[in-house]
Amino acid sequence: MIKHLLKMVWNRKRANILIIVEIFFSFLVLATVLITTVHYWQNYYRPLGYSIQGVWRIEMSLKSLLTSLKAGSDDSKQETEKARQLYLALQKLTEIEAFAGSSDAPYDPSVQTSSYSYRGSKLEIQTEYGCTAGFKDVLGLQLVAGRWFEPNDAALSWDPVVINQKMKEEVFGSEDPLGKNIAPEKAERERRVVGVISEYRKHGEFVSPYAFAFQRSGWSGMEGQLSGPPHYILVKVRPGTPASFEEKLMTQIQRVNKNWSFTLTPLSESRQNWLTFCLVPIVAGGIVAAFLLIMVGLGLVGVLWQNVTQRTREIGLRRSVGGTRGDIHRQVLGELVVIASVGLLLGVALAVQVPMLHLIDFISARVFSFGIVSSVGLIYVLTVLCGLYPSWMAARVEPAQALHYE
Amino acid sequence: MIKNYLKIAFKVLLRRKFFTFISLFGISFTLVVLMVVAALFDHVFAPFPPETKLDRTLNIYWAATSHKGEFHSLTIPGYALLDRYARGLPHVEKFAIHSIPTSAISYKDGAQISSYLKTTAGDFWDIFNFNFLEGGPYSIDDVTRGNFVAVINDATRNKFFGNESALGKAIIVDDQRFRVVGVVENVPIFRVTPFADIWVPITTSKTDNYRKEMLGIQMGTLLVRSRADFPAIKEEYRSRLSRVKLEERGEDDTVTGCPETLFETFSRFLGGSIQNSVLKPPSGRLWAVMLTLMILFMVLPTINLVNINISRIRERASEIGVRKAFGATSRTLVGQFVTENVVLTLLGGLVGIVLSPVVLQLLTGSGLIKYAHFQMNYRIFFTGLLIAFFFGVFSGVYPAWKMSRLHPVEALRGRSL
Amino acid sequence: MIRLQNVEKVYRTEKIETLALNNINLEIQEGEFVSVMGPSGCGKSTLLNVMGLLDVPTQGTVQLNGSPIVARSDKALARIRNQEVGFIFQTFHLISDLTVVDNVEIPLLYRRMAGSKRRQLALKALDRVGLASRVHHFPSQLSGGQQQRVAIARAIVGQPRILLADEPTGNLDSQMGDEVMEILMGLNRDEKTTIVMVTHDPRLAGMTRRIVRLFDGRQVN
Repeated sequence: MIKHLLKMVWNRKRANILIIVEIFFSFLVLATVLITTVHYWQNYYRPLGYSIQGVWRIEMSLKSLLTSLKAGSDDSKQETEKARQLYLALQKLTEIEAFAGSSDAPYDPSVQTSSYSYRGSKLEIQTEYGCTAGFKDVLGLQLVAGRWFEPNDAALSWDPVVINQKMKEEVFGSEDPLGKNIAPEKAERERRVVGVISEYRKHGEFVSPYAFAFQRSGWSGMEGQLSGPPHYILVKVRPGTPASFEEKLMTQIQRVNKNWSFTLTPLSESRQNWLTFCLVPIVAGGIVAAFLLIMVGLGLVGVLWQNVTQRTREIGLRRSVGGTRGDIHRQVLGELVVIASVGLLLGVALAVQVPMLHLIDFISARVFSFGIVSSVGLIYVLTVLCGLYPSWMAARVEPAQALHYE
Repeated sequence: MIKNYLKIAFKVLLRRKFFTFISLFGISFTLVVLMVVAALFDHVFAPFPPETKLDRTLNIYWAATSHKGEFHSLTIPGYALLDRYARGLPHVEKFAIHSIPTSAISYKDGAQISSYLKTTAGDFWDIFNFNFLEGGPYSIDDVTRGNFVAVINDATRNKFFGNESALGKAIIVDDQRFRVVGVVENVPIFRVTPFADIWVPITTSKTDNYRKEMLGIQMGTLLVRSRADFPAIKEEYRSRLSRVKLEERGEDDTVTGCPETLFETFSRFLGGSIQNSVLKPPSGRLWAVMLTLMILFMVLPTINLVNINISRIRERASEIGVRKAFGATSRTLVGQFVTENVVLTLLGGLVGIVLSPVVLQLLTGSGLIKYAHFQMNYRIFFTGLLIAFFFGVFSGVYPAWKMSRLHPVEALRGRSL
Repeated sequence: MIRLQNVEKVYRTEKIETLALNNINLEIQEGEFVSVMGPSGCGKSTLLNVMGLLDVPTQGTVQLNGSPIVARSDKALARIRNQEVGFIFQTFHLISDLTVVDNVEIPLLYRRMAGSKRRQLALKALDRVGLASRVHHFPSQLSGGQQQRVAIARAIVGQPRILLADEPTGNLDSQMGDEVMEILMGLNRDEKTTIVMVTHDPRLAGMTRRIVRLFDGRQVN
């Protein structure tokens, strides 16, 4: 029976080729959407490596400090002193559990990279290159090995670097990274790994884990290679702190220097904005894909319906030689399944190239296979659903009438 | 003849309502998506205020520095670089130097107001045609003298003054007091070149250090006599820069750059080698990518439509047979069928054109993109109509060709194609 | 073999009621070759369809092999058609998308028979009608007479005891018609197949043992 179906499909290949192409493209559309969705969904449940509970981000605009430093004018000493006073002012506030300066913050869309090199291979790795000793406590980073930055690191003749577990695996494999120098080749100072943290996915829940490194900065940022004051202050307030504290905090820091300006954003707000930004394309893509599939489904019903009317005589003949209604039902659906299988086979053959040739590496082969398998299943369901009505119509054909159909 | 075609077309469409419905569904859905994309594209690239002279505008956004001839970094030019080397280029009618928008803080009743501030110099207000809601731009004279005057956008006026007029009133931005001389319509954030909330003369900066900066936060905009002069200008700017040493960085550091169109700027996001793209933005590739995406998207709807059309013809095999038997040529039949299909797609196009503004309205209302205001205009309308037309011809021709090959006797016998 | 008792068939459309068969009593013995004659629209084809269980009479009973066929399920009717009856049509009704041999195999397909066995029987049937050399052609590549021979092969491939032929030569010229007729007569003679043939052609009807005449749905003798 299957052979017979294959034969029917093959001999009608000219009529079927378009349906096959249609199924092929529908599969690709569905697989793309499913794979992306599953990829996002899976990432969403991976550990982030940090917690933003009660963390505020204060963006600083220290124009007068920067210009005075650049110009090397006499103001610079005074301005630097004010930066130190800002630190002291924050320290005095008991509502603050921890605070730190940083060049970047979680959920910022920006990408900062820095150059490293290990055993002759050049590395370009995402880096937070100006965080102070308090950074780990503000975000609750989990140390796996070694230590975090300490205030007296400023005295070292080399620059300490903390890396995440992913970077450890990628760069060092099974070696112990602690104490290893990963400075780029012509660098004047060494960069030594002093600690490993479990995870840090700066770009939030939807991205796959990636290698990440941290370099330290002093508060006023004048010492060593890492020049410039922090871009952000990250503040973690104690649980139960009233909302009115925000105003108090802002007046306290504004009092230090009137020329500087500060903008406060809770990280939960950055998170919301960034996740929305990430979700919009996939939601839009999903809606478009859904409409495409509805369109294809309706088209399929139309084409099959037409096929059935076209083949009324054939169906009548089959009935007259002893085909039951069930036989006709199975015939129509069976042919459809065969056609769909051909389209799907082509689609799967193309789709598996992506993980096999490592074209898109950040999506795992498991997510790919899941996406491909479930797309195949869904396309079968869709085609069979589309075939139900036409095949029912076909089974209802009265042989005596069909054979007089001229 | 055409009238006859149209009459038949409508009759056929009404006779098979289900087929007509699925065809219309596919066509109008496809067009809605394409028109929304066209509207987004229009929003970024089409000339509308304040960028009305896009076709002859060039911008300098980047400065690529090299150390001992090796690419070092892609940064932003400073005032000095643009003032010395981009000013007075040949064939240039107007020239402006303006900063990238930086965030600036103000207070109103104790609440913080954060705005984007752009400082301008040169012919900024002549190159860009802002829509002024009240007042007007500040003059070149204001810039030379360093007068504390500002143009603000509608959103900023609302934040500071509610619905009242802002003319002549003062705003304090980053502890500096400016007098408002003009209010303009909001500029969408995708309009990267003129975008800001507040525009002030560059001479109001707190220090005049910017005058010495080779690298900094400025961009240059050139209004050129005609498009044909673009290559000459790019070449001249490049050759002027080839003699420049970045003294602040040391003897071995050189800088290069290229005036470019808005489209070329966006094409840079496609990636590729940074240093190459500075001199030669991959704008051809951006076109290619956009076309490919559009074609990929249209494959499914087209196949779907062709499929449905073929089915419709099959059903009418006997009709075709009768027509042929009574003397219709293949050509008239092709004409009839293509007309039928074009009518159908244009109907779908009509539905799409009615639905697209609704989708755009939703997008605007969602506030995803700052100050974005998506709307239909004649450009998008005609793009949509054009796409619908081609869609109709394209998806109708193959089935019609198949049909025309049908032998009348076979057709009369009701044989399958 | 076939017995019709008081068979009546009424076609009802919204406005008109047509009496296609009116009180038909007919008995056909095993091994008989019967022609049914009559003018167009007299109910010949309907009679054939009722005999072949393609159509259910409005009244009366149909017996095949002595067992009455009344109100059987679709599935059971299909099985009887498949096992006991073979059909031949004026317009052949070959499936244009299948080759000759595949067309012939169709009845066996519904017997859940193994592929090789099907092929073997189909080839044998084609050999019987003299088309062994054309098995892989498509119907459109054959002449009308050849197509009708394929249709006969399809009708006999399942070795039914009854053949029902509806103007089998109606679309053929006289030479091809004679060829087809010869095959049918041979089947009747050699295999003792019962054949009921509807025809317009008195010459062909004369070649059969018995003629049943119909007029306006009535049997006239």
